[in-house]
Parts: sequence; structure tokens; C-alpha cells
Amino acid sequence: MPPKGKAAPKPKGSEANKPSSTSTSAPPPPASTTSTPSSVPSTSPSTVSERSQQRFDESRPNEAAREKSGLSSLAPAEQVAWISSQFARSSAARARLGTKAQRELWRHVNEASLPVRAPKTKPSPGSWGKDRAGQHIGGYTPARFDDRAAKRITLTALEIASRAFKDTRERARKGLLDPLSKEPVVLAENEIDQEKNRRRQMAALRRELYGQTMGQFEQDPEWDDVVPIPQDEPEMALAAIAYPASYAEAISYLRAVMQKKEYSPRCLRLTEHIISMNPAHYTVWLYRASNIFAMKLLIPDEIEWLNEVALEHLKNYQIWHHRHLLVDNYYPSIADDADKVSQFAASERAFLAAILAHDTKNYHVWSYRSYLVGKLGTWGADELAAVEAMITDDVRNNSAWSHRFFLVFSNPAHSTPGTAATDPDPAVPRDIVDRELQYAMVKTYLAPQNQSPWNYLKGVLAKGGRRLASVEAFAAEFVAGLGEGEEVEQVRSTHALDLLAEIYAEKREKEKADLALRRLAEKWDRIRVGYWEWRRKCLDVEG
Amino acid sequence: MIPDLFTQLPPVRDDLETDTSEAQDETVEACLPFLAGQDDLFEYNEHGVPRINREKHIKFLHNSLGRLPGGFVAADASRPWFLYWSLSALTMLGEDVSHYREAVAETARGMQNDTGGFGGGGRQLSHMATTYAVVLALALVGGEEAFEVIDRKAMWKWLCSLKQPDGGFQVCMGGEEDIRGAYCAAVIISLLNLPLGLTPESPAWTGDSSSNLFTGLARYVRRCQTFEGGISGQPDAEAHGAYAFCALGCLALLDNPRRIIPRYLNVPRLISWLSSRQYAPEGGFSGRTNKLVDGCYSHWVGGCFPLIEACLSPAASASAGQVDNSARAGLPPVSESLFSKEGLIRYILCCCQDQTKRGGLRDKPGRLSDAYHSCYVLSGLSSAQNQWVLADSDDDKSATGTAADPAWTVLPPLEEDVQIFDKRDRIRPIHPVYAIPDENQRAIRSYFLEKDSEGGFL
Repeated sequence: MPPKGKAAPKPKGSEANKPSSTSTSAPPPPASTTSTPSSVPSTSPSTVSERSQQRFDESRPNEAAREKSGLSSLAPAEQVAWISSQFARSSAARARLGTKAQRELWRHVNEASLPVRAPKTKPSPGSWGKDRAGQHIGGYTPARFDDRAAKRITLTALEIASRAFKDTRERARKGLLDPLSKEPVVLAENEIDQEKNRRRQMAALRRELYGQTMGQFEQDPEWDDVVPIPQDEPEMALAAIAYPASYAEAISYLRAVMQKKEYSPRCLRLTEHIISMNPAHYTVWLYRASNIFAMKLLIPDEIEWLNEVALEHLKNYQIWHHRHLLVDNYYPSIADDADKVSQFAASERAFLAAILAHDTKNYHVWSYRSYLVGKLGTWGADELAAVEAMITDDVRNNSAWSHRFFLVFSNPAHSTPGTAATDPDPAVPRDIVDRELQYAMVKTYLAPQNQSPWNYLKGVLAKGGRRLASVEAFAAEFVAGLGEGEEVEQVRSTHALDLLAEIYAEKREKEKADLALRRLAEKWDRIRVGYWEWRRKCLDVEG
Repeated sequence: MIPDLFTQLPPVRDDLETDTSEAQDETVEACLPFLAGQDDLFEYNEHGVPRINREKHIKFLHNSLGRLPGGFVAADASRPWFLYWSLSALTMLGEDVSHYREAVAETARGMQNDTGGFGGGGRQLSHMATTYAVVLALALVGGEEAFEVIDRKAMWKWLCSLKQPDGGFQVCMGGEEDIRGAYCAAVIISLLNLPLGLTPESPAWTGDSSSNLFTGLARYVRRCQTFEGGISGQPDAEAHGAYAFCALGCLALLDNPRRIIPRYLNVPRLISWLSSRQYAPEGGFSGRTNKLVDGCYSHWVGGCFPLIEACLSPAASASAGQVDNSARAGLPPVSESLFSKEGLIRYILCCCQDQTKRGGLRDKPGRLSDAYHSCYVLSGLSSAQNQWVLADSDDDKSATGTAADPAWTVLPPLEEDVQIFDKRDRIRPIHPVYAIPDENQRAIRSYFLEKDSEGGFL
């Protein structure tokens, strides 16, 4: 047995050593407290790399001098000490010595208190690696290094605990018995919370130590069974987006659950999360709808959720198709209950009013609205009043005018299904045609150059199969002294003049029609000169 | 030098102020300095029109194909559009985009689903709009390597699964049915020379061969014409410029436009509505009644006029004359143009160019340029600068997907009396239906036609 020798501490990072000048962490010194003269560090090290160098030097007395000038330059006692150190450290070398020589060697080692254990390789500053900021860890102060080492230990402990958690969960899932208590293994609710907390700490440590991000889903024990499918795009892919990490992670989980056609509460939450980041992702919306239908969730709950999302993302239109699907699914369950239908219609109407208040002409909202009317059969006074309120608010809101036209002339109670919008429909009662003409005319007076009521008027005339000339007097109110000179001629609405031209053509008053069109082209609506000229040519064909 | 039409408020204005009129007044105010030749960053010619800033737009568009920053996450489901918009705009600006061939092919491959069609990105559901965009992008870069990316058999089956009993198309499985679906399907079927027969899995399958992919499609389009004369996205909605182009483009692929447009649409009402989209002093088009001008409608609305004008033009052959005249419902041909090309060109060159170093084209002054607007503003400029005619092709009973060549030809540039833009600023002509250069649509169609004549589709 070799006698105990004074050992230089190993410069291992995980050993949270204090600076070793006093060798407190070394095994008990065998001979005395005297230290080797050459091994006393001149200064306490400022970095761990420097500390390692010092320890290396301490463990190899006289080595630096020998390297520099050769063995023969050392004093004889130093030469003996150096050689003894070499033998003491190498059992292979000692094997070549006889028993006596070995005894001599150990005696010498003990007396001179030579270090027996020593780092094998000469430390190099780069061997510590870099931290996430690209800084050499060797350049850390010992205190900072110790702190890092402590964190690594903490992380390792957390990882072990996390593996234990997964193990317990797996046993619980399989219904195994606990080997000690012989009771079935159960996973308590608080253990899941603890694990979540643990993963949060792990994520923080991994980010701090290694710059690794641990995504939200990776942190969530609930998602451990899903193997995310990351985006695998070729390097040269065009218009590739530098996805934020949180988005990329969520999408990679989406791909995985969609692939296995999972429909579950967690998938529903995943879709909500993705929608909050990118509401234009049509695939995720359709998948969300599948989840809702597969789990038979309550549609009104989903609609309530959707209301908030719609208000947050006013310009998005996937929301409206989703709502459409929900209503398609929901309606049959309430169709037989008139009260429920009207209740639902009222709540939808209230929400539509709220959303249209933000964006009065939102195309997708109005399209959904017309779908809803057809689906629920809400052709009545309430819907008409709602749309009238919007026209009162802004008489130029053409979306509202369009909706009114649909409401009045597609109502199955008094229209012929399948009639083109521009064609006459004998099923529309006279009084309704009269009412709508009246409505358009009254609104026209508010702002005669507003094209919406004029288009509406023409539309109603066509539906009612009325001659355009039936509104000649009305149209003529907005035009005076046509062709009677710049001073006299007054046009308060180019749309009135346009309609007059059509009326004159209808009455075969070609010259008057031509004059109206010419004046539009020359003065009142010059940007459309090409169209007015073409209309003039139409007069020849018609004539 | 600048007609007062483009520098002054219109002669008829109402006093009543509403949200709509306020927004309209603000837009005119924002446009006027640009239209009046008063913007410091532009150099105006003697007509008060600036040059097109090719270099900056080209740079902007190349960048749109590169790596996009994280803020583009909202575009994650529409990346194929970026390919089409950018490549199309670059092509119109005279750039050769064939060097993107491999990259487009690789990108497209990652977006294709085994069940047919292309999604907005890898493992996204196939969608009609993104499939349309991918197919056009592949046609723009051209070449076998690009064409061969497309799994046509799966594509055909997928389209069959979207075909609805009422004639229209859903945009994706479980998605909405609208007129975009109708137009995109017609373009895809025709460019790829797909068979028209339905699979038994199709919702429109009738158990025999009495219906096919095009059955009832024109009737569906007709249901989208509104009382205003314009076209809505789906039946019972408001007339909207983007859908007008989809409607006309779809019909023009189903049959000779002279015949099919008057048969299914009320043409005088449609023309009246289309013409109403152009405003003065802005010169640009709006998308709906009482909405604001937006550069993108230069294409969606502006692109309707070549189709309408073709539908009104007399067929050349005498024998076809009779059929033709009745089909046109007694409407006269157009002598020059149904809209003010000068107005549109002014709006585009003065108001839609981002004159800062950013480049690109935009909706209107004060808005940021983007790839979408760059594409459609330039498409509109191209159709305003170039004249297309529909040759007399009544013999071929059309383009019912059999890749009969629609006889569209572009006329050589006319020396106009007054040409307000610089000769060098003429944009490359694009096909009035496919919205890509004629040679690109020819190349992809003849590639598949030849392939099928050799081996058959299946």
C-alpha cells in the first residue's frame, strides 16, 4: 500500500472547491503541515482557468523550471524531488523499481511531502467551453463558476425528479402496484402541478446555462406523449418565415395531433393558442371545428368564445366560416323550438350589431349575416329594423343596402326561388315594391349623389317588373335645364341623369337620351366618358 | 398639362357628411398632391406622370421571396401567394424568373398533399386559393422540373371532392363555397389539362356521366350577380370587384366569352356597375359602391374590361355573325375603352408607387407597399397599357378543359394620340384570363397536353 501522499485536488468543475492554496480539501496531509515551497501560489487566482494552472503547477514541483532549462539545471535535491514525483504518479514506472527502491521512493515522497495525485493533462484555457453568450467559461471567477456549477447540479436533480415523475405516471397509467406499499400507483393532482413548476425551473436553468429554449408545450407534462413534428423545409424554400419559437413549437404539436386525428380538450386549447398568434391559419380553424363536433361540446359556449376572438381580429374572415359551421351544426338541435331559434337569432343580431359598429362594411360579416337569415328564417321586422338602423346611421353604407335587398326580395314568403337578382319576380307583392321604391326615394333626398339608393331603386324596379319611366318625375327633380347652357344646367345627381338617359331610351326618346349621356361625358361624370360613349352607341342599336 | 379632371373635386357633391363621405374626402385629399405632380420624391414628365421605379420595385419583390421576418407569421397560411405575387410582378417588370425554378419547385413540393392540391405550407390542408397560386408560380418559372412537381391525378380527385351539387366549388374540405373556388378550379383544370369526369367520391357525383367538374358552374356564377349588376363572393351578398374578375375569368374558361358571358350575366348592368368603380379625381377603381379606391382593383376591376370588351366585340367570320349577334344581346362593340385608361394609369403611377427606398406598390398613398398590391397594381397597369383581342374561334366549342387554345392575342402597342406614360414604362402583357404571360400559360398547357397524348392521364 502506498503511503498517503499529499494530493493536489482535482480541478473538476462539479467539485465546488475553494481556492486550494491551503489545500483544505485535500486528504489529510500525511507528514506535516508544511507545504512544498515551490507550490505556494503567488496570488489567489482571478479565474478558474488560472486556478487550474496554479493547481497544475503545484502538483508538479520544479516542472516549470525543468521545462524551461532542463533537468540538469535543477539543484540535486530538486532533481530527486522531480524524479520521485514522476515515479510516485506512475504505477507503470514504479513497477520497474525493485522493492527497496520503492520503499526508498515512498520515504522520500513522504518526507518531502510531494504530491502524488495530479491532473494528467496540462490545462488549456479553451477546454472549459463557452457559455451561451459565447464567453469562455475558463474566464469565470471562481465564485461565478461555483454558482454555475451549483445550477447545473440543480438542473440535474430536477431532471432526475422529472424522470421519476414520468415513471410514476407511466406506472399509474398501466395500473401497476407500488412495490413497497402494494397499493396501486396513483398520480396526485399536486404532483402534476409540482412537475409543471419543476419544468418551469428546468426551462429557466436551461436557458440560462445553455441558451436552450424549452417551449411551452415541452414544459407541459400534459403534452409529454406527443412527439412534435417540426417544419421540415428545404434550405432553399422561398418566402420562408422566421417563425417566433413559440409559434413554431405550437405548430409542430398541431401537426402531430392532427396526424393522429386526436380530438380532445388539450387540442382545443392548442387551437386557441395558435389562433391567438395567427387567426388566418385556416387549417387550425377547421381542426378546431372538428374537435368541437367530435367532443360534442356546447355550441353556445364556442360562440361566446368566438365573439371575443372576432372583436380582437376584425379583419379576419376564417372566424366567420367557423361560425357558419357552428350554426349549421347547432341549428338542427333548436329548429323545432321557435323560442330557442328566436332567442338565438336575437343574440346573434346583438353580436352582429356590436361587430359592425367597429367595421360597418365588413364583407365577411355581412355575408355571414345573409347566410344566417336564410338559415334561421329571420326575414322579419327585427332584421329589417336592424339594417335600417345602419342605413340611418350612414345612408351611404352600401353593404346595408345590399342586405336590405336580399332581405326583401329573397324572402321565400314572397319571392320565387332561383330568380336572378336582376330579373323581375312576379311573386313579389305590389305593395312591397311600392314600399321599397318609397324607401329608396326618401333616402335619396338626404344625399342625391349617393349611388346606393339609386342602385337600389333600379334593382327594385327590375324586381317589380316596373318600367323605369315610372320614376321619371322623381329622377327629373335632380336635373334642371339640361342642354340649355352652362349657366342654366344643373345636376344634383349624376345617377339621376344616368337613370334619365335610360328612361328616355326606354321611351325611345333617343335624342334626349343622347343629350343626357353626352352631358355626363362632357361635364358631369367625365371619368366614365368611355362608358357614356358606349351607352350612346347602344341607343343606335336599341333604336 | 394635367387635365383638371384629376386635380379638382368632382362637380357634383353632397353636403351631408357621414363616415363614408369623410373617408372618401380624406382619400381624395391624400391623393391630390400626388396627382397634381407635387410630390418631391418623384420626377414628373410633361403630362405630370412619374416614371415607374423598376429597380426599387424589383428589389422589393426579390426580397418578398426571401426569408420573411417573424412578423409575417400571419401570412403562414398564404405563403404560396407570396410566390405568385412576387414572381408575377417581377415577370411583368421584365425580369427573368426562371432561375427561381428549383426553389419554387422545392417549396411547392413541401406544400403538396398526397391527397391532392397544395396547402398554405407544409402539412396544411390543401386549399383552392393556395393551389391556384402554386400552379401559377410553377407556370411562371416554367420547365419540366417545375411542372412535374404537380401530382395531377391526386389533384383531379381532390377537385372532384370539392365539387358541389349546386355547381360551385368549396375552397377546401370543410371550407366555404364561393366564387374564388369557381375561378381557381377552372384555371387549375384548364392549365393542367385535367379530365372533367367526376369520381364517385365527389359530392356532385350523380351515378352516371351526366355531370362533370364544369356542370352547373356557370349557373353558380350567375347566382352571384347582384341587383347592382356586380358580382358577390357567394349568392346573396354584396357586389365586390375581386369577385367580378373571378366570375368573368371563370366563364371565359368554360366557353367562348362572346357566347357565355351574355348567356349567364346581365351584361348592361354589369358594365354599369364596373364603370361606376372608377372615381375622379383619383382615377383608380374602388371595389364596391361607396368604398374607396384601392390599387389592387386595378386588376380585379380593370381586368374585367378586356373580357367584357371581347364579349362585345363582333366575331370576324360571317357565318358566326348571326350566332354572335344574338349572343351579344344586341349590344354594340366598344370603340376605344369602357373606362379611362389615362385615369387608371395616373392613379397607378402617381399614387400607388412607394417612392421611398422601400419600393413596391400599394393600395393608396399613406399605405405600405406589399407583394399583393405590387402584383395586382402591375397587372392592372399591364391591362391598361396593352390591348387584347379575342380572335374568332367559334369552331372550337370552347375551352371545356380540353385545352382548346383560347384565341386571345395581344395587339402591338398602339401609337396613341397622347400617351401619358414613357414608352419604356410599358409593362409586359399578361393573358386576360390566366393573368400570367401568354407564353407561360401556353407552355404549361401544351406540356400536359402532349404528355397526355403520349400516355394518357391515368
